[in-house]
Amino acid sequence: MAALENPADLDEREREALETLLKRLADDEFVLAERYTEWQVRAPSLESDLALANNAQDELGHARLWYDVLEDLGFEEQELVYERDPADFRHATLVELPFEEGDWADAVLRSYLYDAAEELRLEALEDSSYPKIADRVGKIQSEEAYHLEHAQNWVERLADGEEGHQRLQDALDRLFPHALTLFEPVDPDVETDIVDLGLRDATLEELGEEWLSIVVPYLESLELELPVSSQVDDDTFEITEEMLPEKRGRDGSHTDAWADLHDELTHTYRDLGRSETTKIMEKPE
Amino acid sequence: MSSEIPDPDADATPCAYTDYREGEGAEELPATGEDATGVEADVWDALYGIEDPEMPISIVDLGLIYGVTLEDGHAIVDMTLTYSGCPARDMLTEQVQETAADVEGVDGAELRLVWSPEWTIEMVTEQGKEDLREFGLSI
Repeated sequence: MAALENPADLDEREREALETLLKRLADDEFVLAERYTEWQVRAPSLESDLALANNAQDELGHARLWYDVLEDLGFEEQELVYERDPADFRHATLVELPFEEGDWADAVLRSYLYDAAEELRLEALEDSSYPKIADRVGKIQSEEAYHLEHAQNWVERLADGEEGHQRLQDALDRLFPHALTLFEPVDPDVETDIVDLGLRDATLEELGEEWLSIVVPYLESLELELPVSSQVDDDTFEITEEMLPEKRGRDGSHTDAWADLHDELTHTYRDLGRSETTKIMEKPE
Repeated sequence: MSSEIPDPDADATPCAYTDYREGEGAEELPATGEDATGVEADVWDALYGIEDPEMPISIVDLGLIYGVTLEDGHAIVDMTLTYSGCPARDMLTEQVQETAADVEGVDGAELRLVWSPEWTIEMVTEQGKEDLREFGLSI
């Protein structure tokens, strides 16, 4: 597969595929980070508070690495983050849902479902035909490995106690359909282009089935029950239309929670009439 | 009182998650500009003067600068950050770009933020490791 070296040489189809892929990646990370920060000073222990805050900072860093690549297509960071129409965000609904109040099981299960998916999609980007994508994958993987370890450690700890197990089960019932939207298309034709152009070397369908083949046996080993059956036979899984929630995120349809979150996160920017983001300065100017 | 506090587990290890993975170095890194000459060497010298915002160590010894090239008086600096979520990113990259541009004989400078190979602790120079130990880090 020929590398797509120079952004100026991309044709319309290539640009759209690249933009779509990057928005999927960046928006997931950005919105999840926004939600994680709600736990700051509220997590069940100082250590878990620090860990989740740190994961949020990682996700913001990763969002920024992907938004940086979108700048190749003429976008600017403040447009992408603060000035974009909320309906143009392409994240999965899993990351926009509010946490059930005070429910740590929701946070750790969500993290597990998401990080298991992220591991697979990063693998599928290692040899991306767009060099700037491939070059960023290693850095992100080195930071993400800790997230998955952290999430699994907590899921297993909670599954071990009666109340924790029940909370995990409730969170799974609520979150699982939304986790499936991680593998939904923004636009089916553009998703085909993403793979045909070598930007990512696995289809959404393949990623979704692989993810199910990992998370379903894992959750069942903890005696958690999946709210819907995705198992075709012993080792084959698939996502079907009836398993999915009404709002899918990727296609621009979002839950009401997203409108509220977007309003909140852009509030200060609008309120202060900003046209650019502020920076940490060595000396105040 | 004390009877309510459970006995510590004899097999417990202190914080299982403090795992400073060492990672792999890259053959040509850390780059320190020791073979550079002329204006290129002056750019390296100037960059040596920039410290990490959190620790008393030169960013060159920390291994953040991957390369300096000069083309017709125009300096190109390849640089990485230790951490993707570094909140001092803009501050540091602007400082590096301005410092390189201010060197006598340099007409302009461009900074390229690169992420591959990813920074690891192996990219810190021996001098840098000494500075970090002095600061109190075990490395």
